[in-house]
Amino acid sequence: MRSFWKVAVVLLALCCAASAAFAGGAKEAAPAPAAAGPAEVDLTVPITVLVTDPHIQVVDTWKPIWEAETGGKINVVLVPYATLEEKLWIEFRTKAGSFDIACIPVTWKGDVFGGEHVEDLRPYMEKFGYPNWDDVMPAQKVIVGWGEKIMALPYDGDNHLFYYRTDALEVPEYQQQFREKYGYMYSLPPKNWEEVYDLAEFFNGWDWDKDGEVEYGFAFIAQQNTQAMWSFLDFAAQYATVAGPPSNHTSNIFFDTETMEPLCKTPGWVEAMKMIQSLVKFAPPGLLGYGYSELRQAYVSGNSAMAIDWADIAIQAQYPEEYGSKVKGKLGYGPLPGASKYWDRRTNKWVEEQHNVNFLDFGGWVYVIPKSAPHKDAAYKFGTYITNPERSLLDVCGIHGYTGANPWRESHFKAIDAWVRGGWDRDSAEAFLEGVYNILNDPYAVTDLMIPGGSEYYNVLDTHLNKVLSGSISPERGCELIYDDWVRITNERGKEDQKRYYRGSLGLK
Amino acid sequence: MATLSSRDRVKWAFLLPALVYLMLLAIFPLIWTLTLSFTRWNANTMARPQFIGLENFRYFLFEDPRFWFDLRFTAMYVAVAVSVELVLGLLLASLLSQSFRGKNFFRVIFLIPMACPPIAVAFLWRMMLHPDIGVINSMLQGIGLRAVKWTTSAAVAPFTIMMVDIWEWTPFMFLALLAALQSLPTELYQSAAVDGATSWQMFRGITLPLITPMIITVSLIRAIDAFKLFELVFGITGAGPGGATESLSYYVYLIGMKWFKLGRGSAISWLFVILLIGLALILISRFRRERTQ
Repeated sequence: MRSFWKVAVVLLALCCAASAAFAGGAKEAAPAPAAAGPAEVDLTVPITVLVTDPHIQVVDTWKPIWEAETGGKINVVLVPYATLEEKLWIEFRTKAGSFDIACIPVTWKGDVFGGEHVEDLRPYMEKFGYPNWDDVMPAQKVIVGWGEKIMALPYDGDNHLFYYRTDALEVPEYQQQFREKYGYMYSLPPKNWEEVYDLAEFFNGWDWDKDGEVEYGFAFIAQQNTQAMWSFLDFAAQYATVAGPPSNHTSNIFFDTETMEPLCKTPGWVEAMKMIQSLVKFAPPGLLGYGYSELRQAYVSGNSAMAIDWADIAIQAQYPEEYGSKVKGKLGYGPLPGASKYWDRRTNKWVEEQHNVNFLDFGGWVYVIPKSAPHKDAAYKFGTYITNPERSLLDVCGIHGYTGANPWRESHFKAIDAWVRGGWDRDSAEAFLEGVYNILNDPYAVTDLMIPGGSEYYNVLDTHLNKVLSGSISPERGCELIYDDWVRITNERGKEDQKRYYRGSLGLK
Repeated sequence: MATLSSRDRVKWAFLLPALVYLMLLAIFPLIWTLTLSFTRWNANTMARPQFIGLENFRYFLFEDPRFWFDLRFTAMYVAVAVSVELVLGLLLASLLSQSFRGKNFFRVIFLIPMACPPIAVAFLWRMMLHPDIGVINSMLQGIGLRAVKWTTSAAVAPFTIMMVDIWEWTPFMFLALLAALQSLPTELYQSAAVDGATSWQMFRGITLPLITPMIITVSLIRAIDAFKLFELVFGITGAGPGGATESLSYYVYLIGMKWFKLGRGSAISWLFVILLIGLALILISRFRRERTQ
């Protein structure tokens, strides 16, 4: 019996210790004091870089050169994308100083920037300079900003493009057949999703490139948990808003900025959901199994006439030996197709008008310096070293192979020769760069959802979208389910806080 | 105040390191997460947890249809996968406990799936089962059959996950049951044969009763393990299509590790633990009853 009491006392002591730790651990540690700002930065210190594949290619390329030039040391922590977020948050919460600089998707900025877990880089820029800020594309400046602050170094201009096969859509014989069947001639690239629907139907299920295999109309990322929600938002952006200075009624597709009510049940969203669902029947039969890897592999192997994806398809298409591309020199590029109408929430009516909205889906990868980083100044110097105009050009244009980084500086779009040296044919490079440039240069491009809880909002959108795509629920029901879940998430996280973050992400006061 | 005898002191000196180790690595996290389960803590925006009592538990039990859907899917998965593994494992063990040429070769071959890391198994099968470019559909179409929507149909995908689990874990059942079969005394079978018993009668009257404790033990181990289904869902379907293959573990992962709702994540983890303990208790009591009989 006495032993029992001893064990009980030990357990009680542990409970007390746990409670004390709970109370103590719950307090946010005082922020690390700002670095003392040496006149010269000590670059011989070891810098730890947290990175995923394929972005490690960039770090690995510059690491030996940096080390030789500075006498410093670069330690690379490579993690899979699936565990990057938890690695990041463990660092933010424990402040262990386990890395100095990290390459992260900017779509997490609501949580990361909003939570002020990373350094504001404006003082660093003032102190150490930044390699040609004017050279950075406008959209890239927007996405690394948070209010008046600059919270990250731009590194990758990553947005969806529209791809089409020139050996299908640009063949005069097919154009004539299309005109006879549908009574009009489509634009190149297609100007709206209605044209894409007709084209997808026309080019679906026959061997239009005469390679002995049946091809399909339109392909996109559709598998659950592989970023399919961005495919849908390419449609929603066209039907649910109109381009303009970001406000409640223009260039805004997620929430009402006054009430924080989700826009998911608006006729614009429902129309977008109907359109994407209707395109499934003109897609490869295994479309719902298409994550980003499968889509890229399938499209560059030549199985569809049209697709939407980030710049990865364009890049992989250039390398037949590495990616089995059969479409090198056969791709046309364009911005996202628009729509022939949009839902005007001011009047609660459809506006029948051809229009296009550029959508910065995902937005790209950026480099951030955690507040707990042991060597912030050196990390900043390393970040600006690998992202300066000359070095970053080599990373985005293919000279360093497939790095996952896409053009994001003005100068990247002008250096066509570098792209040709990187393995592109000149025409493809020019067409591709023009497509990307127009998106990144659009001051009214819709920014992605970048508020706290972003991954939860997107998870439920992704799940219900998948039900709609597989035909198990109707588009209307899908939108209702998304709406209900988004209301719940917003309320759980605090409606006023979320509204403040959301308005901030649009640049509204 | 009572003092410890020297014998007791020695006893405690030996016990203490293990006790401290156990407390730190097992008991402390349990207490910590239990404490957190009564709080709201969105770790990416809230500096500290906020006490909310039983709200998290109430939410899952009475308000969250996703919890109940995932629980139903997980329970169905455990029931089907473990049952099929048991039957197949028993059949294979019976077959390979006989003497024939090449027996050892097959024994080794059957163990390979179990030796593969589950996440590697998941990605391997994901590639093989891809509806368009997967080798399995190519083979089916090659012999004139229709392609199957292994991972893209909400009706088929749950069974795809079960199929892969059965492929991976039947060897475990086989191995354990083979060991049990080989430990049975041959005299009983010789006596039964003298009495004219058929093979089926010997199996039902001798083999099955004698290996029942082993069957219950391996079923318990597998059921608890299968209940923690994660890698196959993560790697093969991503919980799709439309959440049709989302397991409870995967949901716990989303809440805790993707959305950083640590209070809610702790609460669902505790519900998960309670469910597992309940399952274990049921199977253990069944085991005890069998032994008594």
